[in-house]
Amino acid sequence: MNFTLNSMILLSIIMLVSPLLYNMLMPHKTTYFPTYCKNMIMMAFMTSLPPMIIFMLYGQESVITNWHWFSITTFNISMSFKLDFFSIIFIPIALYDAWSILEFSLWYMHSDIFIHKFFKYLVSFLLTMIILVSANNLFQLFIGWEGVGIMSFLLIGWWYGRTDANTAALQAIIYNRIGDIGFMLTMAWLMLNSNSWELQNIFSTNMDFIALLGLIIAATGKSAQFGLHPWLPSAMEGPTPVSALLHSSTMVVAGIFLLIRFHPMMENNQMILTTILCLGAMTTLFTAICAITQNDIKKIVAFSTSSQLGLMMVTVGLNQPHLAFLHICTHAFFKAMLFLCSGSIIHSLNDEQDIRKMGGLFLILPITSSALMTGSLALVGTPFLAGFYSKDSIIEAINTSYTNSWALMMTLIATSLTAIYSLRIIYYALLGNPRFSSISPINENNPNLINPIMRLAMGSIFAGFLVTMSIPPMTSITMTMPDMIKLSALLITLAGLAIGMELNSFTNKLMNSMKHTTNFSNMLGYFTYFTHRIYPLMNLYSGQRIATMLIDMNWYEKTGPKGQTNIHSSMSSLLTSTQKGLIKVYFMSFLISITLALMFASMSTNNF
Amino acid sequence: MVLTHDYLIEQINLNIITAFTIALIGVLTYRSHLISTLLCLEGIILSLFILIVLLISHSHIVSISMAPLILLVFSACEAGVGLALLVTISHTYGNDYVQNLNLLQC
Repeated sequence: MNFTLNSMILLSIIMLVSPLLYNMLMPHKTTYFPTYCKNMIMMAFMTSLPPMIIFMLYGQESVITNWHWFSITTFNISMSFKLDFFSIIFIPIALYDAWSILEFSLWYMHSDIFIHKFFKYLVSFLLTMIILVSANNLFQLFIGWEGVGIMSFLLIGWWYGRTDANTAALQAIIYNRIGDIGFMLTMAWLMLNSNSWELQNIFSTNMDFIALLGLIIAATGKSAQFGLHPWLPSAMEGPTPVSALLHSSTMVVAGIFLLIRFHPMMENNQMILTTILCLGAMTTLFTAICAITQNDIKKIVAFSTSSQLGLMMVTVGLNQPHLAFLHICTHAFFKAMLFLCSGSIIHSLNDEQDIRKMGGLFLILPITSSALMTGSLALVGTPFLAGFYSKDSIIEAINTSYTNSWALMMTLIATSLTAIYSLRIIYYALLGNPRFSSISPINENNPNLINPIMRLAMGSIFAGFLVTMSIPPMTSITMTMPDMIKLSALLITLAGLAIGMELNSFTNKLMNSMKHTTNFSNMLGYFTYFTHRIYPLMNLYSGQRIATMLIDMNWYEKTGPKGQTNIHSSMSSLLTSTQKGLIKVYFMSFLISITLALMFASMSTNNF
Repeated sequence: MVLTHDYLIEQINLNIITAFTIALIGVLTYRSHLISTLLCLEGIILSLFILIVLLISHSHIVSISMAPLILLVFSACEAGVGLALLVTISHTYGNDYVQNLNLLQC
């Protein structure tokens, strides 16, 4: 049993490496390569299922330490994989999503001549993600962390002829790097204070506030929490499969995953938990507010991802990491499906992404629209779909725990806003009369399009139930609460749906066009307009100052000719200004001082 | 026989020192003309000359008999220098008022 689990996981990871080896050794054979990649990922998924089943049946976890990498005096780093509750369940889910998305990209990127490079990038991204998730020491985790950042950069800037795509890729790299500073802070603290980067060694010691703060900064950067969030909506410049794989299910949860891995260190430190809670509440509300007036379908789904990430952060802050992990797993299914459906819509309308130019697709694209509706219902937490098991549990947990009431209020408002923007997508894209041009190549007859969407739809309906019933309970949750509290998530969502319906019929008639709140929400709270200008401006100012004022002026002029003349003329004018030729005053002072001196001299001798 | 002492020599000394002091005050305080400084300078020298001669003749110190003559020689040189300065100043300014001397230029 031990042998089966270990060997099948390692085999699954090796299966991910084989497409890359194939392309490296035989780069000219590219016609069959995309299908080969998809088949390998499917095989890897099948191979990683038995370990998950073994874990669910027997509770078998393992740590595989393969190879001693290097040692620096007393500091050892080896290649080791930690296959515990979190990684054994996450790896099959990630591979399932990746399989569906790779099959979808066979249809979506069909006309792209560099499709084999695209698949190579996707497979290497997946490899680094699996390395991140299964790492047992921080060095290997950092390799995976940086790897997903680099692949994100390459994939967002896939259409590099477009300046917006280049800017977005650069933005992603810079914001991720700022998060990496926190990660390196934690790594340095651990290297100094506990002399080990292995998770087992770290879990038996205590971690200081500053080290945990480094982890929070890393999660803020990678998971787009408030403060380092603008890269996620800008990352929608990449192709839709990239958005589906990276920026909805897999890469952006890496930050939350890191916090979940370190939950034994944080469960006793109330300050850290409160920080995480408030940060997550701020994120979820802010991004939900930004989502309700966006006009690009992919941006709405991106903000929805960001809001759900905030919700996961809130759950970690409530000291419920297993609930957050459950939400990661169920969220992967329906969010990827939402992205695939929007990709289908975009491609069918000849690359139209603006929801104001879509409409009436409900009967024309039946499979896509029913999948979109299922995904949206799962997102808002409709009872007994996938999202219900995680989201409703989170809302119950936050309602019944001793927590910050401001964070609670924010989360509840964001939950109702979730319903509003989901309804916005459905109303504008699917319902009503068509607003696109009449000649459009709308069809759904390609199995590469239909099968992934159906697979993920099956997942988003059943996965919540299956995963919840199979995993062992790790924490005890509050089971008894008043009726209103129990139904609060559902009531808030229904209220949000009603408000959303009202808002949609308002804005359809452009009654709400240029008010201040609409502008605030549409322009992302003006966050990017403030921050993106200030730092380069300050740096340019200081650079100009140093170059011209400091170096040129001072060294060439002030210490040279001009400085010398100034010093000398000021000294001489100071000296000559004291001598005014006042001879009479000088003689008078001489007389008075002689007289006084004589008087003092004669008085001191006492001789009168 | 009582050895008495009359105060004649001290009175003469007081007199000449008074003359010296008045001339000194005259050098240091003047109103507008520079030549008054030079005149009072001559007065100082004259009173010093008389003091030294009286000292020699009263206490019979023969070895410093040359001193008044040397004083006179040097005072003549000094008066000559002073007059040359006065002539130069009045050459520049036309008069010898001291308020002209603020430019520190001869």
